[in-house]
Amino acid sequence: MNDTAKSTRITTVPRYGDQTADKFYLPAIYAGIKVTLGHFVRNFRDITAMETLEYPEEQPTDITPRYRGLHRLTHREDGSIRCVACFMCATACPAGCINIVATERTDGIDEKMPEIFAIDTLECVFCGMCVEACPCDAIRMDTGIFSVTGQAREDFVLDRDRLLSHTGAFETEQTRNKEASHD
Amino acid sequence: MTTAQILVTLGSIVLAALLALLMIPVLVWLERRVCGLIQDRPGPNRTNVFGFRLGGVVQSFADVVKLVTKEEYIPGHIRYGRWIFLLAPMITFASALLAFMVIPFADTVQVDGAALRIQGLPVSYGILWYLAIGSVGILGMVFGGWLSHNKYSLLGALRAAAQMISYELALGLGVISMILTYDTIDFNAMVQWQSGTFWGIIPAWGLFIQPFAAVIITVALFVETNRAPFSVAEGESEIVAGFFTEYTAMKFAMYFMGEYVAMNTAGAVIVTMFLGGYQLPWIGTGTLLEHFRPVAGVLLLLVPAVMALFILWMRRNNRVRPTLSTDGGRGRETRILTGVLIGTTLLIEAVLLWLLLEPAGSIGASVAVPLLQIVIFVVKLMLVNLFFILIRWTLPRFRYDQVQVLGWRYLLPAALANLFVTSILVAGVGS
Repeated sequence: MNDTAKSTRITTVPRYGDQTADKFYLPAIYAGIKVTLGHFVRNFRDITAMETLEYPEEQPTDITPRYRGLHRLTHREDGSIRCVACFMCATACPAGCINIVATERTDGIDEKMPEIFAIDTLECVFCGMCVEACPCDAIRMDTGIFSVTGQAREDFVLDRDRLLSHTGAFETEQTRNKEASHD
Repeated sequence: MTTAQILVTLGSIVLAALLALLMIPVLVWLERRVCGLIQDRPGPNRTNVFGFRLGGVVQSFADVVKLVTKEEYIPGHIRYGRWIFLLAPMITFASALLAFMVIPFADTVQVDGAALRIQGLPVSYGILWYLAIGSVGILGMVFGGWLSHNKYSLLGALRAAAQMISYELALGLGVISMILTYDTIDFNAMVQWQSGTFWGIIPAWGLFIQPFAAVIITVALFVETNRAPFSVAEGESEIVAGFFTEYTAMKFAMYFMGEYVAMNTAGAVIVTMFLGGYQLPWIGTGTLLEHFRPVAGVLLLLVPAVMALFILWMRRNNRVRPTLSTDGGRGRETRILTGVLIGTTLLIEAVLLWLLLEPAGSIGASVAVPLLQIVIFVVKLMLVNLFFILIRWTLPRFRYDQVQVLGWRYLLPAALANLFVTSILVAGVGS
C-alpha cells in the first residue's frame, strides 16, 4: 500500500473542504461572489463588450476550415459533377441518410454519375464519414453552413442541384496548391 | 377618522400591495438579467411593445400573458382532494403576500393628532405576524406535493417541509436574540431603535450590533424562501420540479410568484431588522423633520447627478454593437426615455425647490419625509434582493443531507450560543 502511494505513477489529488475555514462556508461564498460580481459589474458597465453574439443578427466569425458544416458536391475542372455514384458514402453513412440513384454518364468524361443524390439533413449526424469514404473528393463538408431552416420536412432533404450549388467557404491546402501550380 | 387619515391609511395599504405584487415581474426580470450578466450573456432583451423594451422588463409581462392564457391541466389521476390541490398554490402565494404587509415603509406619520403606521397592516406585533404567516406557506407546498399523487411531488414537499422545520428553529432563536436586543416585537420600533449611532460613527444597525444573528437569520431566510443554495425542494436531476411537478399554467405561476414574493418579504425583513429599514444612516426621522431644508438642498444636487449617471449608462448600454445594421429601435427608445427622465428630474427638482423655499412649519416636510423614507426603503430592498439573486447564481446547491447537517449541527448551536450571549449582555446592560 505504502509502496503504491510512493509510486510516481499515482498522483494524490488534494481534497479540499476539510479546513476549518471551509466548514464556515463564508470565505468561499465571499470568493465566489467576488467572481460573479466581477462579471456582473464588467458587463453592467458596457454590455457591448460581452462575448455573446446577438445571433441571428450577428453571425459567428470563428468557424474553422475543419468545421463540418453542410455538405456540398464538388465539380470537375470543366464544371461537371465529380461524383461517380460509387455508393461509398452511402455505405459509410452510419445514419443512412444518403440516397443515391446512379445513371450512365454519356458525355464521355466518366462512366457513371448520380441521377439522384439526396442527403436528409434531419437524419444526418454530421460525422463526416461520407467525406472520408469518398474516393474522388466529390463530397465535402466545408461550406461553413451550420444552420438549416425550412418550413416542411422535405425542405431539409438536400437534392443534387442544391448540393452542387453550395460552395466551399475556406481556402484549403489543395485549392491553394492548385492555384500555385496554375501560376 | 378624518379624510387625511383615511387617505394615508389607504395609501399605505396600496403601497404595500404594489410593493409586493409589482415587484414580482421586476424581480423575475432582475433575476434573469443579472444571471445573464453574471454568465456573460445579455439575458432577455428582445420582447418589446412598440419598440419599448425597458431593458427587457417587458418580457416578464409577456410571460404573465403566456401563463394566463395557457391551458389549465389537472392530471386525471388526482381524484381525491382536488379542491385542496387547487387551493395549495394560493395558500403559498397568499401567505408570502400577507407576511409582507407588516413591513414599515416609513416612520409613523402624525395626521390630525393620530399616529398612523405606514404599513399594509398597522399592527404592533409585526415580527410575530411574520413568523406565523410566513410559516403557513409550507402548508401550501405540502398540500400541493401530497395531493399531486406523484412520488416526485411528495418527495419535494417532504424535503421542503423538513428543511423548513430544521431552519425555523435557528430562525426563531435568531429572531429572539434580536427581540431581546431591540426589546420590542414591533418592526417599526426596531427601525427607530436603529436610527442611533455607536460612538458617533457607526450607525446602530442590527448588522453591526448582531453580526452573528444577521448571518444566521439571513441563511435561515434563504431556506425559508426555498432559494438556492437551499433549493433541494426542487431539483431537475433528482425529483423533477419537486412539489409543483403536476402544476400547470397559472397554478404553477402562483407557486413561482409566491417564491419571489417570499424572497421580497425575506429581503424586507432583513432590511428592517438589520439594515436600518427606511432610515438613512446617521440621520433619524426627527432630525429629518426638523432640518429638512438642508436635506432637500442635498437632494436638489443629488437627484440630477444620479439621473445624469443613469442616462449616461442607458445611452451607453441600450444599444447594440456598431457592427450590426439595425438596433431594433433601441436608439429611439433611448431618446424618448432620456426625455422622460429629464422631465421627471425637472419635476422632482421643482418640488424640492418649493420645499426649500416654503415657510417653516407647513405640511411640506411632513409629507416629503415619509416619501423619502419609502424611496430609501425600496432602494435598500432592491439591493438585498440583488444579493439574493447574486447568491443564487454564485453558489452550487447543497445536497439534501448537507442542508440538514448545516441546519441542525451548525446553525442551531450557533443561534443558541448567540441567544445565550445576547441574554447575558442584555441582562448586564439592563441591571
